[in-house]
Amino acid sequence: MKHHSIGEFEELVLLMVAALHDEAYGVSIQENLVEKLSKNINISAIHVALKRMEDKGFVKSRFGGITEDRGGRRKKYYVITALGKRILDSQYELRTELYKMIPKISFSR
Amino acid sequence: MKTRLPKWPLLFLRWFCREDYLDEIEGDLTEIFFHRHEHSPAKARRQFLWNVLKHFRPEFIKPIKLKTHHNRAAVIKNYFKTSSRNLIRNRNYAFINIAGLAIGIAVCMTIFVIIQFQTSFDNFHSKKDRIYRVLTEYHHADAAKLSYGQSVPFPMPKGLKTAFPQIEQVTPIYASHNDQLQVLDVNGAPVKNFKEQSGVFYTDPSFFNIFNFPLLAGSYASLKDPNNVLLTKEIAETYFGDWKTATGKTIKLTGSYRVGAGLFQFPPIVLKISGILATIPANTDFQLKLVIAFGTDFTGDRIYGLQNPDWNGTSPDFGCYVLLPPNISADNFNQQLRAYSRKVQSFDNKDSHIIQPLSEVHYDTGTGNCSNKTISHGLLNVLWMIAAFILSIACVNFINLSTAQAVNRAKEVGVRKVLGSNKSQLQMQFIVETFLIVMTAMMLSAVVTILALPFVNRLLELSLSFNVLDSREAVLFILTVTIVVTALAGFYPSIVLSRFNPVNALKSKLTVNTAKGMSLRRGLVVFQFVIAQVLIIGTLIILKQMNYFMNQPLGFDKDAIVNVPFRPDSTGSKLTDYLRQQLLSVNGVQAVSFSSNTPVEDGNDSWSTFRFNHAIKESGFNTIVKFSDNEYVPTYKLQLTAGRNLQPSGPTREFLVNESFVKSLGLKPEDILNKEISIWGDLIKCPVVGVLKDFNDRSFRHDLAPLLITTNSTMYRQAGIKLATTNIASAMQSVKKIWEHTFPDFVYEYKFLDDKIESFYKQENQLAQLYKIFSAIAIFLSCLGLYGLASFMAVQRIKEVGIRKVLGATAANIVYLFSKEFILLIVIAFAIATPIAWFCMHYWLQDYAYRIDINWWMFAAGGLVAMVIALATISFQAIKAALTNPVKSLKTE
Repeated sequence: MKHHSIGEFEELVLLMVAALHDEAYGVSIQENLVEKLSKNINISAIHVALKRMEDKGFVKSRFGGITEDRGGRRKKYYVITALGKRILDSQYELRTELYKMIPKISFSR
Repeated sequence: MKTRLPKWPLLFLRWFCREDYLDEIEGDLTEIFFHRHEHSPAKARRQFLWNVLKHFRPEFIKPIKLKTHHNRAAVIKNYFKTSSRNLIRNRNYAFINIAGLAIGIAVCMTIFVIIQFQTSFDNFHSKKDRIYRVLTEYHHADAAKLSYGQSVPFPMPKGLKTAFPQIEQVTPIYASHNDQLQVLDVNGAPVKNFKEQSGVFYTDPSFFNIFNFPLLAGSYASLKDPNNVLLTKEIAETYFGDWKTATGKTIKLTGSYRVGAGLFQFPPIVLKISGILATIPANTDFQLKLVIAFGTDFTGDRIYGLQNPDWNGTSPDFGCYVLLPPNISADNFNQQLRAYSRKVQSFDNKDSHIIQPLSEVHYDTGTGNCSNKTISHGLLNVLWMIAAFILSIACVNFINLSTAQAVNRAKEVGVRKVLGSNKSQLQMQFIVETFLIVMTAMMLSAVVTILALPFVNRLLELSLSFNVLDSREAVLFILTVTIVVTALAGFYPSIVLSRFNPVNALKSKLTVNTAKGMSLRRGLVVFQFVIAQVLIIGTLIILKQMNYFMNQPLGFDKDAIVNVPFRPDSTGSKLTDYLRQQLLSVNGVQAVSFSSNTPVEDGNDSWSTFRFNHAIKESGFNTIVKFSDNEYVPTYKLQLTAGRNLQPSGPTREFLVNESFVKSLGLKPEDILNKEISIWGDLIKCPVVGVLKDFNDRSFRHDLAPLLITTNSTMYRQAGIKLATTNIASAMQSVKKIWEHTFPDFVYEYKFLDDKIESFYKQENQLAQLYKIFSAIAIFLSCLGLYGLASFMAVQRIKEVGIRKVLGATAANIVYLFSKEFILLIVIAFAIATPIAWFCMHYWLQDYAYRIDINWWMFAAGGLVAMVIALATISFQAIKAALTNPVKSLKTE
């Protein structure tokens, strides 16, 4: 099976796409990420991540209707695919597993 | 008001972004923009631009694809193939096109090489931007008039050094002329004699701190000590055979120096060779041969020397160069220098000094320079203009022939259009075709230029070379010319050709005589002939003026007079008496006179101020002073209008003056006789005994100058020998023998007076030769175009001619039919060319005090020449057309 790799930022975007189910498009993803991370993220980074994940098959897209505030341009909505969900699950498992391996000792400050 | 997205970033985004992503990206950016805009419009705009820029990355950029899906290489290959086939099919036109362009470009290249050489003078010195020449600014009685001279007062260099310690370097430079040199052997005995007309300089080591002339052996510092000399490699080789062995050897120099009005001889000095300079480049005005330490002999503390602590007079041939530090501007320094002049000069001396950048020295035709090879910016511009005009004539030929031929290509264009080519592709095809021709012409012209350069070098006495790989400018020039010519010559025809309507083109409904195309071609022919005729008329006027220089009576005899320089000795008259007796015994010698110089000189005269008739103040004008014996008047056949000739005398006793002198004083010839004149600060005081009829004592550039002639045997430098016109060669042999016998250590030279006068106008002569060539090329190129056009017309109108002949036209009618249109065009061109030529030549003639009047016949002759040549060109084709059998031309379709 082809190995599916995912970057850290891509993972965040993918999580957000999954979270915003059916309402995920460029601006909404950016706004939510900025809010959660309290860090400025450029929209172009989101677009790049979405394009790459679409190529890898983690997300699917569809066009929405034309709205006034977008200058007549359509929204492009993204939804997570089954493959995307599997990747998120395996990432989650990997992290949890690793987290559990941390010995219970007090850490130096 | 509705808020708008920033225009340029949006356009940029739409330009680069992939269509399938544009909805998403532009939409998102727009949404963000409007969202932000409510808070801060300026920030929103900035952010929008930033966001657009951030999207400019490979993922979103449109794939770079060719607009056409043709096989590009094949298309271009096809262009070349059709172009070369077409050229081969129309060999004659192709030849005319290529030959015309090649000649035009070759003229351009040659002029480029000349100009490149002329503008490269003294640009190789590393500190060139800070080097300045000190000039003397002469203030004349007429306050509005200023003139400049390169000579400065003797104390100038030293004075500048002490008064302006901030100047980096100051160097004196004395340019000596006509020095006799003897190579000495180890015992100091003379071995070989040489004479240097110029190139002997006296200067100090700082000269080489200012200018870059590399040294092969020895040191610059050796010039600190008097009697040391640096030779160039070439001179060392001429004198000693091998430059490597020259250092340390000695030479003896016999020269003269000028002070005020007099040329003085100093006793021979022995110089030691202390170093060898590398070959002096051709593009410098300092054509050094021998560089003698400043301080040697008369440049040092000898009492008879140049050395004159006086700030109020300049020492002839004595100049000064300075190297300013980077932080001082020339303007600033000039102000200080003016103030300094006021301070050191006497109160009534209004002259002042200024500095001139080195970059202007070569172009200062008024002041001149050490090499006396100056060229004005005006002349350089005229050369550029001629180059441009001749090139444009060649381009016009090309345009005319290609558009005239267009009808032949119409079918090809039609087929190409039907098969789907668009206008821009067709234009591209014709541009490629032009480019092919231009490239061929360019290669040919490089060959022509290389072949022509030796000829140009001989004509202009230059040493030019054309090496394309050598200079970046040359490569740039060739590229520029290729592009400009391709654009000029190819642009219009390509538009005309690509415009054809395919339906008409394929139905053969096109005729070449569309009104618009014809009038453009007519206009271009007129343009060519205007240029050609201006050049022809200009050349005629220059030649006429040259003729005038040589044939206008000068007021004295210049035929069969030969001048031989000699060296006076302390015996004075004894030597001249001996020489005279020897010379007069030679068969064919009619008269002999000894003098300082000839009646006419070009800038080689001694001038002096004078006092007239015991006046307290000196007169307001200067006079030329010539020294000669009593034989001067009969030998040169000068005319006396009043009084008598000089009495034979060794020392100075009496004066002769010319009419201009008398006129300048406001007197009548009779009134001046027996009045006393004193020159050289009362050193010479004598009465006037005779008045000479005015003769041209300077070149025709200048008016007559006031003149004094008096005897003084120590000042004679040359013999003037009047020969009988028969047996000149054998008489000259005898003269040579006498000289070699009398002056064994002296290089024998002679010059005929008429040759010398001709040499005054050398630059004009060279220019006249150059213009002759240019106008010949211009008319040749114009006619080449005309020939092509006429032959084309003959082919086009072959049926018309056939029908006319069937209906009874004679051959003469047909020839007239062809010629009348061109005659009209040439007449129009003549009408335009006349005022232009008149204006240019009138302006040119203003340089000469003596000049010809511009006559109507010069214009008529120029016009006629152009007309006759053009008609001869056309008539060849016209007669051929007129003589074709109408049966043949009408039978075939």
